[in-house]
Amino acid sequence: MPTIVEVKDLKAYYHTHAYGVQRTVKAVDGITLNIPEGQVYGIAGESGCGKSTLLKVLLGAHKPPLYVVDGSVRYLFDDAQIATLSLDENTLRELRWKQVSYIPQGSMHVLNPVRRIEDIFHDFVAAHQQVSKAESTQLTRTYLRELGLPEKVMAAYPHQLSGGMRQRVTIALATILSPKLIFADEPTTALDVIVQRGVIQILKEIKRREGSTFVLITHDLGVHANLADRIAVLYAGKLVEEADSRTILKKPLHPYTKFLIQSLPRLDDRSTRVSIPGRPPALDNPPDGCRFHPRCPLAVDKCRTVDPAMVAIQPGHRVACHVVTEATEEVRHAATA
Amino acid sequence: MTLLKEFILPRLLQWLLVIFIGVTITFLIPRVSPVNPIDQALSRLTAFQNLSPEATIALRASIEDLYGLQGSIFEQYIAFWKRILRGDLGPSFTSFPMMVNDIIRKSIGWTIGLLGTCVVIAWLLGLILGTLASYYRNRWWSRFLENSLITVYPIPYYILAFVLLMLFAYYFPIFPLVGGGRGTPGLTWTYIRTVIQHATLPALSIIIGATAFRFIMAKALTSGEIASDYVQYAELAALPKRKIIFSYIMRNTMLPQVTDLGLSLGAIFEGALITEVVFSYPGIGSSLYNAIISADYNMIMGITLLSIVGIATASLLVDLSYPFFDPRVRYR
Ligand SMILES: Nc1ncnc2c1ncn2[C@@H]1O[C@H](COP(=O)(O)OP(=O)(O)O)[C@@H](O)[C@H]1O
Ligand code: SF4
Ligand SMILES: [Mg+2]
Repeated sequence: MPTIVEVKDLKAYYHTHAYGVQRTVKAVDGITLNIPEGQVYGIAGESGCGKSTLLKVLLGAHKPPLYVVDGSVRYLFDDAQIATLSLDENTLRELRWKQVSYIPQGSMHVLNPVRRIEDIFHDFVAAHQQVSKAESTQLTRTYLRELGLPEKVMAAYPHQLSGGMRQRVTIALATILSPKLIFADEPTTALDVIVQRGVIQILKEIKRREGSTFVLITHDLGVHANLADRIAVLYAGKLVEEADSRTILKKPLHPYTKFLIQSLPRLDDRSTRVSIPGRPPALDNPPDGCRFHPRCPLAVDKCRTVDPAMVAIQPGHRVACHVVTEATEEVRHAATA
Repeated sequence: MTLLKEFILPRLLQWLLVIFIGVTITFLIPRVSPVNPIDQALSRLTAFQNLSPEATIALRASIEDLYGLQGSIFEQYIAFWKRILRGDLGPSFTSFPMMVNDIIRKSIGWTIGLLGTCVVIAWLLGLILGTLASYYRNRWWSRFLENSLITVYPIPYYILAFVLLMLFAYYFPIFPLVGGGRGTPGLTWTYIRTVIQHATLPALSIIIGATAFRFIMAKALTSGEIASDYVQYAELAALPKRKIIFSYIMRNTMLPQVTDLGLSLGAIFEGALITEVVFSYPGIGSSLYNAIISADYNMIMGITLLSIVGIATASLLVDLSYPFFDPRVRYR
């Protein structure tokens, strides 16, 4: 599977100062990953762990107080390799919507309240290709029909649509120009379960039609189980585990991932739900060593001082945990001895 | 039908109620005031001649009759309404036998022409400049505009007006000192030119302050819009700047801006006072000023009623136009 986005040792910090106090929030702190083309790449983790921040940088949409401190992001398209972080505004504008698109978090409010849906679609389409109003309306009508959305939303104002419908309209708005790469930030959060199902359905449909690559952020592993091909788990600004979604869901190795999976509601047995003790650290002053050690039941001395590196335990399965790494090495030693 | 019944009708009723209350108060105030307008009129008439007591009583009766001050207060009130509904505001006390109606008719055009135009120009200027300056807030011209307008804004109006008058009518007599126009009124270029010349200084004095106010308001409203999710998203999707500024930002500030424009337009009859007195402009404001210093009650009442109707009507129109500017305001 060829890579379409390559992220190397990315560090992005918020530098804020209020009332003379300087604060640095290390929201993304040394992340390396490759996003394979044509798949749904899920990014999981509790809220506040840096998912949205990572996505903004991947989009090249970061602005002060968020600064990229180190590392690189490259888009590896068939026809071009693009170093995203050093793009000028014009190239970025060229990329947006036609090649790279974005479904933002909290997309309840991204539709201009005083414009009809069809006018909003026209604005977004006409910004990227030469179309008349009639042509963009036709394009919109066809696309909405293909996604199974009712035609009458076109003449409506955003406030006249239900939350779930607004979300699906926003997804259609972000994907109408068939971008290669779609970043979606919590597209199902704040929707009730039935509406969520509709949104998931529409995302699947878009993926099936266009073969687009999705980068899907959600703290909800249930949604990942439904959509994602691969899952990366983030904790406190760092990647802790990455594998195909089957492995993450069935055989997670990192203690944090295990907690996440165990805390999922299960149909068969309600009593085994475990919630993770403690709370995620503040990112302006994260703990030394493994950032998970204050909450980790397996923590050893080394965890308090040494930051564990991401290690490929198996091909396509990386974990950042001292205990896991050592256990695997022992197994290997035993096998070779 | 529901539109008429649920949206328009209640607002029309409200408009009628406001005018009814306004008229009633206008009727009552001079009648509870310790100064008796009849005595004042009489003393003016008798200041230079001696009248016998009988003649004074006869004169008093005829004045009361003329000014609708006969009978019980309730009878007077009914008579007052009858006259108003006929559109008859009675004679002016001081310019007797000129009717208040005629005086207002002569001066209202000047006021609406000058102040109405200025309010609209200042609204457009302030709105556009304020929005642009807020959107491009780091450009040099944006800072320059903001600093100059914020400096101008707190200057009291009468000082600004006097400075303009002294500078451009007295020291550098570019513009005329008094009046509204020169020559025979008509649609001739020579006459219109004198009208524009006469209107320039008073117009400037109003536009400067009003633009500064509107600029500050537009800037505040715009900065809220710029931070909104839909503007941020439009930026991210690389919509053209022009589209973002006009359809995504300015369009969303229209509701408060149009409200304020409507109310400013409704209030021009009071606003006219200082401007017209300072620049000796022949509009409603000058008439009101003359009426006040000479205790011309009918005239004062006439202009007060005009203001009440003006403001009530403006807010009615603003109210009715809301759904047009913001689809979220339902016809309810
Ligand atoms: N504008 C900002 N200024 C300062 N800190 C921020 C800002 N936005 C987010 N953060 C901090 O960055 C961290 C990561 O936030 P975010 O990327 O939104 O997490 P997630 O999307 O996983 O919930 C959080 O600790 C949050 O408080
Ligand atoms: S490195 Fe140590 S603290 Fe961190 S997850 Fe592994 S065992 Fe727990
Ligand atoms: Mg987030």
